[in-house]
Amino acid sequence: MDKPAPTHQTKTPTKPEALSREERKKQLEFQKEAVVHLHSLYNYALHITMNPDDAEDLVQETYLKAYRFFNSFERGTNCKAWLFKILKNNYINRFRKNSKEPGKVDYDLIKDFYHSIKDTRRDSSEADTDYFHSLLHEEVYQALHSLPEEFREVIQLCDIEGFTYEEIANMVDSPIGTVRSRLYRGRKLLRVQLEEYARKYGFNTGKDQ
Amino acid sequence: MNCKTARVLMSAAVDGEISFKEEKGFLSHLLECKECCDEFDDAKKTKMIIKERIIQFKAPQTLIDSIMQLTDFNTRETEETLLYE
Ligand SMILES: [Zn+2]
Repeated sequence: MDKPAPTHQTKTPTKPEALSREERKKQLEFQKEAVVHLHSLYNYALHITMNPDDAEDLVQETYLKAYRFFNSFERGTNCKAWLFKILKNNYINRFRKNSKEPGKVDYDLIKDFYHSIKDTRRDSSEADTDYFHSLLHEEVYQALHSLPEEFREVIQLCDIEGFTYEEIANMVDSPIGTVRSRLYRGRKLLRVQLEEYARKYGFNTGKDQ
Repeated sequence: MNCKTARVLMSAAVDGEISFKEEKGFLSHLLECKECCDEFDDAKKTKMIIKERIIQFKAPQTLIDSIMQLTDFNTRETEETLLYE
């Protein structure tokens, strides 16, 4: 992707109606590169805030910031990764710092939210007795959220969002080796949780405890 | 390759983040080690279940609209007032 870098200062046009060419170009590029990731960002925000209103706020702020600093986005790199990093920083700066009560989570709201769409995928064609396939979104979701944040985070970024280890390392400010071992340990922890759910529902997990 | 090395490489092997050379050593270890082999299968399954079962929602229309407006010059004023820093 060879896009010419904007060379002019376009921050403060004198007349509001005179939208400069550069600004228009920036808008179009922003829509193509950044806005297309809106759904991913929203879902990720939903996971970390566990509150639909907060998730909306967070995504909104992320895009505001991203648009303001779009010139600093390195063209040709993964824009989605860049947006996720901004979102994460926003989250840390605002939601963590400003919330006097950490973990103020609207569980009921979240629960309703997930309930309303539950079961939509249960009967896809896999007719097997593998306990993994017996699990529903809600159980997997709960298992994921039972993990310590550092593990949940890398699993989400890798398995749901499909980022590379390098991109994840950059997002969580840790070396690739750390990402690798967190994924390894995180998946193991997750498996234990999932097996517990499965056992609860009477599936034989092949592991007696 | 021993089990310890194999486990270091486990997640990378699941995610296709392993080098060709590493993968060769890793796979030949799996052939002779049932434990690591089982763990590898479990790790792959765990990744799959996350991918399959975690539902991705659509962002609410209000959010979509407001993001679209961001790139609309006329709403610049709104943008200014929204910036709280
Ligand atoms: Zn082994």
